[in-house]
Amino acid sequence: MSRGRAMAALPPPRSTWDAINPLRLLGELSETRYWMYLLLLPSALLITAIVLFPTVYGFQLSFTEMRLNRPAGNGAFVGLKHYQRMLADPIFWLSLRNTAVWVTFSIVIEFVVGLVAALALNRNLPGGKILAVLILVPYFLPNVVAGNMWALMLDSRVGVINDILVRIGLLHEYKAWFADPNTAMATAIFVEAWHSFPFFTLLIMAGLKGIPADLYKAADIDGAGAFAQLRLITLPMLRTIIAAAVILRVIGLVNSPDLLLILTQGGPGRSTQVLSLYAFQNAYSDFNFGYAGALSVVMFVLLMLFAWAYIRLSKVNQD
Amino acid sequence: MAQTRTGSNLIWNILSYAVLIVLALLSIGPLLWMLLTSFKVDDDIVTRTMVYFPTRFTLENYIKLWNQSGYPVLVINSLVTTTLTVAICLFTGTIASYAFSRFNFPGRTPLMLGYLVVRMFPAVLMIIPLFIVMRNLGLFDTSLGLAVAYTSFLLPLFVWMLKGFFDAAPKELESAARIDGSTRIGAMFRIVIPIARNGLVATCVFVAIAAWNEYLFALMLTSSTGSRTWPVGLQLMVGEFQLPWGMLAAGGIISILPVIVLFALVQRVMVAGITAGAVKG
Repeated sequence: MSRGRAMAALPPPRSTWDAINPLRLLGELSETRYWMYLLLLPSALLITAIVLFPTVYGFQLSFTEMRLNRPAGNGAFVGLKHYQRMLADPIFWLSLRNTAVWVTFSIVIEFVVGLVAALALNRNLPGGKILAVLILVPYFLPNVVAGNMWALMLDSRVGVINDILVRIGLLHEYKAWFADPNTAMATAIFVEAWHSFPFFTLLIMAGLKGIPADLYKAADIDGAGAFAQLRLITLPMLRTIIAAAVILRVIGLVNSPDLLLILTQGGPGRSTQVLSLYAFQNAYSDFNFGYAGALSVVMFVLLMLFAWAYIRLSKVNQD
Repeated sequence: MAQTRTGSNLIWNILSYAVLIVLALLSIGPLLWMLLTSFKVDDDIVTRTMVYFPTRFTLENYIKLWNQSGYPVLVINSLVTTTLTVAICLFTGTIASYAFSRFNFPGRTPLMLGYLVVRMFPAVLMIIPLFIVMRNLGLFDTSLGLAVAYTSFLLPLFVWMLKGFFDAAPKELESAARIDGSTRIGAMFRIVIPIARNGLVATCVFVAIAAWNEYLFALMLTSSTGSRTWPVGLQLMVGEFQLPWGMLAAGGIISILPVIVLFALVQRVMVAGITAGAVKG
């Protein structure tokens, strides 16, 4: 009797198809304790192959001679040669300074405009949804289109901005914004800020939704004005979001030369030459992969230091 | 007291409208100007006195762009590259994102941070080795090679963004399915992914827009019309044609049309996803 019950509890015999049915096998595999690692495997392999390996290779390149247009001696280990050259390279130091200007001013403008837009949108005014969509549009435009659009509007002969500024009396004659070393960087920063401020708007809007309304009610009762509320409630409550947004944007600004490549190619003179652009031009135009690699390694290390210091500082302020 | 509250509220509302309308005009104005320019004849673009509205509307720029510059090929190349990128992200990223969202396992936090830190790597630092590797593998100047390169920065983004959507999908239905005897993989495909499908679509659109728009990798990793994408082709026109403004504007409009349509379709879900990913990250 007891034996009969044990027989019934056994699984039914498997057919041959059942034994090789891939769906069933996957189903069984998904019940094992290593399932999550299997799920992660494809993406982890891919990222290792196309991110980690190239990065390590890039570090290695920075210590080797690698000029595609001069095959002789390629791949030879040259130690710190590229780094020594960099220390004596005035363009490197200029690019470093320009990068600091480019990043600092872009971030400050994008943050302030992004914050103001987010605060205004957060009042949930009628029509605010449509205005929000319109304001977010620049962020999704390709660099190539955004860059050329502004190049057209700021053109020294056919630029509509020049025309408007002359008409309202702010300018005497059309100006070549990108050809004048005094205005090229500022104009490029303006275009960059126009392109990316919605990123801050997006993140800050999300953060604002998480601040309890009670805090503002209490502040109202205590008689705190709008600016006091901004300084004492809004900004402190948004600290984490602002830190995340600033880090992500700084990474983007330091790493991508796209917009400057389209607008100025680093000119006129070298007034808009930044590090990422200099590294890219060394690789793309001069095929000097070793030196370009060394420049990108320096960029990478500087970014890591910045991220580390920034996170430390914003944590210290919490206490 | 109440009087002054409503008074100051009104002032702030008016100020808010003013700011928002100025910003919206500033955001949309350049696009409208490009649209107008794309319908202008060359004489209206290059003039002594500014012509704001075209004296006559023309499709000349679009026709010239389509017939003379090889633009259709560029658009098709971009479509292929974008589709491949989204496909790679979808197949490898969805399951990874699901694993991060639903399981707690040794190494989870460092792995997730790893997927985040990868975004800090300078594009230039990766482009050079990728260029050499792609050339050795025969993937240089191919759509597949470019799509794989795009995956390097879009896959981590995909995983993080989608994880936010998976996190938001209720776990109860999944538990119920498990109790009814469904396997983990069965619950994933039949319950969780269908629930999070809006998020999945929005994440794919986000990745597709980024791949469609990308310029730097495409410039470095393609060299012929066999795989060159539209941003590179459009930028090349600046040097190739005399006063290319009309064609540039037409090219810009054609290329951003799909972006604007996709953005409009999934804008609400996508915005939620971008912010959710960043807030938790």
